[in-house]
Amino acid sequence: MKMKWTSSFRKTIVAIWALIGFVGCTDFVEADPPQNIMISETVFEDASTVESAMADMYVSMRENGMISGNYGFTTRLAIYSDELDYYGFNTRLLEFYQNQVLSPNAEVLSWWSEAYAVVYSANAIVEGLEESTDLEEDERNRFLGQALFVRGFIHSLLVSVFGDVPYITSTDYAPNNQVSRMPEVLVYDRIISDLERAEELMGMSTIENEERTVPDSFAAKALLARLYLYTEQWELASTEATELIEAFSLEDELGMVFLKGSPETIWQLHHGEFPGNTQEASQLIIPSIPGQSFALTNGLMSAFEDGDGRRSEWVDSIMNAEETITLYFPHKYKAQFDVTESLEHSIQFRLAEQYLIRSESRTHLGDLVGARKDLNVIRNRAGLQDIMADSESGLLEAILTERRVELFTEQGHRWFDLKRTDRATLVLGMLKPYWEDSDTLLPIPEMELEANPNLLPQNQGY
Amino acid sequence: MKKSPILLGRNKLFLFLYILLSPLLPQKLVAGKTFYPPQATISGTITDTEGLPLGGVNIVVESKNIGTISNMDGTYSIKAGPNDILFFSIVGFKARNVPIEGKTVINVQMEEDVTQLGEVVLNAGYYTVSEKERTGNIATIKTEVMEKQPVGNPLAAMQGHLSGVNIVQNTGVPGGGFEIEVRGRNFINGVTDPLYIVDGVPFGSQSLGSDDISRSIVYSDISPLNAINPNDIESIEVLKDADATAIYGSRGANGVVLITTKKGKVGKTRFDAHLSTSLGQVTHFMDLMDTHQYLEVRREGVSNDGLDGFLGVPRYDFYWPDITLWGQDRYTDWQKELIGGTAYRNNAQLSISGGSDCTQFLVSGSYLKETTVFPGDANYKRATVHSTISHRSNNDRFSLNLSTSYTYEDNLLPRSDLSIQAYTLAPNAPALFDKDGSLNWENNTWDNPLAGLEEKFGAKTNTILANALISYELLEDLQLRASIGYTDYSLDSYRTLPSSTRNPRFNFTPQNYSNLTTNESKRTSWIVEPQIQWKQDWSRFSMDVLLGTTFQQQATEQLVMRGTGFPNNSLIFNLTAAELVEVRSSTDSEYKYNAVFGRVNLKHMNRYILNLTGRRDGSSRFGPGKQFGNFGAVGLAWVFTEEAIFTDSSVLSFGKIRGSYGTTGSDNIGDYQFLDTYTVTGADYGGIATLSPSGIYNPDFGWEENKKLEAGLELGFFKDRVFVNASWYRNRSSNQLVGVPLAATTGFPELTGNFDATVENSGVELDFRSVNLVSDKLKWSTTFNLTVPKSKLLRYDGLETSTFADSYVIGEPLSIVKLYHSLGVNPETGQYEIEDYNGDGAISSSGDRQWIEDLAPKFYGGLGNTINWGDLTFDIFLQFKKQKAYNPIQDNAVPGYRRNASVDLFYDRWREPGDVKPFQIASSGLIPGASNESLQRRSNAAVSDASFIRIRNISMNYKVPHLVDGLDVNVYLQGQNLLTFTKYKGPDPEQTLNNRLPPLRQLTLGLKVGF
Repeated sequence: MKMKWTSSFRKTIVAIWALIGFVGCTDFVEADPPQNIMISETVFEDASTVESAMADMYVSMRENGMISGNYGFTTRLAIYSDELDYYGFNTRLLEFYQNQVLSPNAEVLSWWSEAYAVVYSANAIVEGLEESTDLEEDERNRFLGQALFVRGFIHSLLVSVFGDVPYITSTDYAPNNQVSRMPEVLVYDRIISDLERAEELMGMSTIENEERTVPDSFAAKALLARLYLYTEQWELASTEATELIEAFSLEDELGMVFLKGSPETIWQLHHGEFPGNTQEASQLIIPSIPGQSFALTNGLMSAFEDGDGRRSEWVDSIMNAEETITLYFPHKYKAQFDVTESLEHSIQFRLAEQYLIRSESRTHLGDLVGARKDLNVIRNRAGLQDIMADSESGLLEAILTERRVELFTEQGHRWFDLKRTDRATLVLGMLKPYWEDSDTLLPIPEMELEANPNLLPQNQGY
Repeated sequence: MKKSPILLGRNKLFLFLYILLSPLLPQKLVAGKTFYPPQATISGTITDTEGLPLGGVNIVVESKNIGTISNMDGTYSIKAGPNDILFFSIVGFKARNVPIEGKTVINVQMEEDVTQLGEVVLNAGYYTVSEKERTGNIATIKTEVMEKQPVGNPLAAMQGHLSGVNIVQNTGVPGGGFEIEVRGRNFINGVTDPLYIVDGVPFGSQSLGSDDISRSIVYSDISPLNAINPNDIESIEVLKDADATAIYGSRGANGVVLITTKKGKVGKTRFDAHLSTSLGQVTHFMDLMDTHQYLEVRREGVSNDGLDGFLGVPRYDFYWPDITLWGQDRYTDWQKELIGGTAYRNNAQLSISGGSDCTQFLVSGSYLKETTVFPGDANYKRATVHSTISHRSNNDRFSLNLSTSYTYEDNLLPRSDLSIQAYTLAPNAPALFDKDGSLNWENNTWDNPLAGLEEKFGAKTNTILANALISYELLEDLQLRASIGYTDYSLDSYRTLPSSTRNPRFNFTPQNYSNLTTNESKRTSWIVEPQIQWKQDWSRFSMDVLLGTTFQQQATEQLVMRGTGFPNNSLIFNLTAAELVEVRSSTDSEYKYNAVFGRVNLKHMNRYILNLTGRRDGSSRFGPGKQFGNFGAVGLAWVFTEEAIFTDSSVLSFGKIRGSYGTTGSDNIGDYQFLDTYTVTGADYGGIATLSPSGIYNPDFGWEENKKLEAGLELGFFKDRVFVNASWYRNRSSNQLVGVPLAATTGFPELTGNFDATVENSGVELDFRSVNLVSDKLKWSTTFNLTVPKSKLLRYDGLETSTFADSYVIGEPLSIVKLYHSLGVNPETGQYEIEDYNGDGAISSSGDRQWIEDLAPKFYGGLGNTINWGDLTFDIFLQFKKQKAYNPIQDNAVPGYRRNASVDLFYDRWREPGDVKPFQIASSGLIPGASNESLQRRSNAAVSDASFIRIRNISMNYKVPHLVDGLDVNVYLQGQNLLTFTKYKGPDPEQTLNNRLPPLRQLTLGLKVGF
């Protein structure tokens, strides 16, 4: 017995050692990364993968958030102001239509979070490019400029609807998770300095941009002009607009302004693969009654002067079967999802806005002649007579009306005009029963205030 | 012990050759090592106490572990030495040891055993342990209990039967999944899935469903466990405490579910056929408003909102077609129409089994077809083939067990669950079909729910599970084993959205709308586990040592594609016919896992038992340097009735005190979480494929830790006719791997990392079984189990400033919800009022959601009774649970919305000043923000008692008496989920999401024939 015990015990020990010999291989528990994933570092070693990372931002902007055709300013701020009536049942949209947006509103939350997700992408690209030594100077500058432009652009959208917002410039989650809001004025300063740097970087590189679907230095100028106007820096606004007016030309045919080859387009987002045209057309064109989600308001329809070509070229109407109801809808983008040929992209900046920016800036600077001239370029194209207003206030009024009928249902221009000229309460207070003064800003999403209490206090009125 | 490397190397080589060659030359290599005395043939007859012959008795020569089984006439013969001892055992009788003492004929009488404590052998995964000697907590359910329940998924059969195991069925739609929690929720990240092991092979239980395809029908939860036919299962063991789970180390934190399939038995070839048919129906319809009531509150709502002036204006008909356009007297019971059908389930199974002393086999095939309660021809089909073969060499040293199963499932369902429509469609909504029999769109004023039936969801799965267990007895006490397993699970699913199913007002055509989304997913894994076991018995002391290692690799792939634009809708199933094919997601991941594990079991005089288990684990889910972790447990048991003073006790027949403490872990966090990465999304921007940032670098995360403490008392009375097992446990989980929700300003919704938080789950479990009555014809036995769980968040540093500040409270369980406090309806205004906790004059989520409700069960359990009366067996099993849950107010708190709702909203609504009512003034819902309705829906009013007692199962089995010799015929009638007693207002208190098809009531008639 004794003998057996020791011999089997020894065998056991041997076996244990043998087993342990198999183990202890750390190599075994290291798995290769999968095919669909790239380690971040390697993305920035090659121009084509950087381009893919940039493309992801544009797709995000096109599909979700504030400038997307489906969920963006174009429809939401149009019903929030006085451009469109809303006929649907979506509570989130009813809240917009009745200026009763609540802080848990999912649309607002998605605007906020989609925006910062794109900002993260932009910052990741900026940081990645700063580390990378594999790209050529020219490419690197171009990408860096584009990323900075996107960062500035997204923040400009955020500040326009939320007021004070955090300005995020790094990918480090720890500080970004605890960040506080920055006063609106400072946010504008940061945006402008990002854009100026972007303009400089992109200006130094050449780029083939026939369809104008990636932002270049002109896009940066267009945004700068808009922001200078919003911040009442008239001289600068006028200068930027002038550079664009010299570089681009207006499309004479109203019916062709929104086609993808239009010469007045400064920057547009490439449509998705399917449907091969814009989300704006699908959202706004009424297929049948019932079936309408949005229709142009009576107020906007009556703002068109007689003989305004835009009334006939950019607006269409539909009647119900019984011919008892007629509704009007925007028809700037005409190709719906059932058109399989690619005709239109989603335009973000076009030259007409720049004429109106310069006209307004010139008015404030006292150059009423120049202002009138710019305004009339736009009016004439629409088949309207020159305007004769010769006072500063008369001209400003005329510009505002012109902006309303030129830029209607495009990225919320009407709303921002009412807001920046302090007319929101005056105009909407009369139209909308639930309007309150504090509705000029949207609420910071409730979930975000909970996730980061440093964002408190909530905007007034919410 | 110091070893020279050379010696070690030589030994290794020797051992390697030994393992490799020994099966080929067993006799030669072992000759001379052991000497057997001369063998003689012993024979005899085995009878029961009434003298009737007993077939199927196991006879083992104790010293040699060789054995045989008695024939049907009770006779046996076996070779043994004159000094050997024969061990006779059969389920239902007390085992006997009979020394041979030189005899050649030994006739044995077996005494019936009313309980079978000593017989019950539990599968503990890497080893087995008898119920009497276990130090850990292992709950088990045997085939006898499972086969009484007409269910398709093994988890369904376990519901209510096991203490400490809380199982909820997610949907009544076939092919769906279950939620399971073993001893509560340990982790903040919400993962509660235990580790599933089928015949020794880990089986991935996570669904590979894609939201793009199956979100609205089975909630993307296509449970791989549906592939395991409950009829092929011999037993399921759930390992609960540290002693039982620590040997599974990093994957044992949430418990381990061991599934053992049926094996062939020695004896003549046996054929068993089993046929059954079930009828399934929704158990309970909601009490909804009829047309008259519905329209009354609708009009009242429009009028209360001051909108009645618009009612006659055609331009606004779009807002309220139910009031102005649809028939005012039409009534359809949409619940009856949409979910009121009968689901048929037909099941056929044939198995052949048998074998000789050395080799046994079992082959079983089954086919099941189950339809749904929805209109249309949706159905779920499953075919399974299960086979096992066991072989022992003549000298009993080598054994081989092969088990394979293959399952094919084909699920064809509508792409969305119609229940939500059934509960909310206006009762005067138009007819489903127009005069021509085509779908009626009522001038485009509604979305016809039956259109959804043409939107198909299909899922085909193939599951292969294969396992080989090879063992070789190197020396008498030393056994080498290797378990080798392979699993292959593939899912092929699709969803079609043809243009014809959408309201014609959208002008959708096949070219511009119709689309097909497909999901091809696959998960394969292999595992190799060489083990060595050494057993030694001394007179008063015995020792059992197990050592093993695991290598496992798992690869998962998923490809989701969408094709849009088809020439016509009949080509919609052909992806190549699509105008545009896009890849929605294409992912693959690899998981590698490596471990060393061991067990040392020491027994002194069958009284004192010490069980030590441990494991060192490495997983590829963690960053460099963090891949390995150590886990271990100690278990102790004292069988105090073995002590001298108890030997004469006539009352207390068994008593054991046991306890265990140890650690386990969890790496249940998905692959590659520590890398910062870009992912190919499948989208494209003007021809450029996109790369999206998909992870924040965090190399520092490691194992979650779970410390389990347990104490138990097991008592048997009156020769174990009454048996009580009580346990107390306390599990503490820390170093929590949390997907910490991040503020959106970070650009990511969450970050996975270890958090300094501790969750404690404690509780008491009670298992009781008794044999109340035994006589010649009648036997009545009872089982009862009760679990009283408690859970709390012990510690969370910085909770107040974290993103969980809104979800959790220190000292409260993880299962709480924070709610507003509803003060009811203001009798003057008719509006809901909400308590302003912080008194700032406004109701805000961060300041005023202070009401806490816990949605975890307070206690749950089951009570079963079995009565055998002659050839008739009657079973009844009750399941009970005390809990709270969200009620239908969570979905709708306002009368007058354009959706049907509980009739309570009609009767109990506020109508004029002075009314004291639970529901507010009617409203059309067209003016959002005008009331506190959304706050009310997130208030304590939306949570109410959802306790229930359910007759989970009744089964009646009649064993047709002797027709022909050797022919067994059984006829049975079973009912599942028959009756529920509850105060809960929603459709079902078990599954309380209220927008899914609840579990069905099933009535089954079956026939079993065996010969």
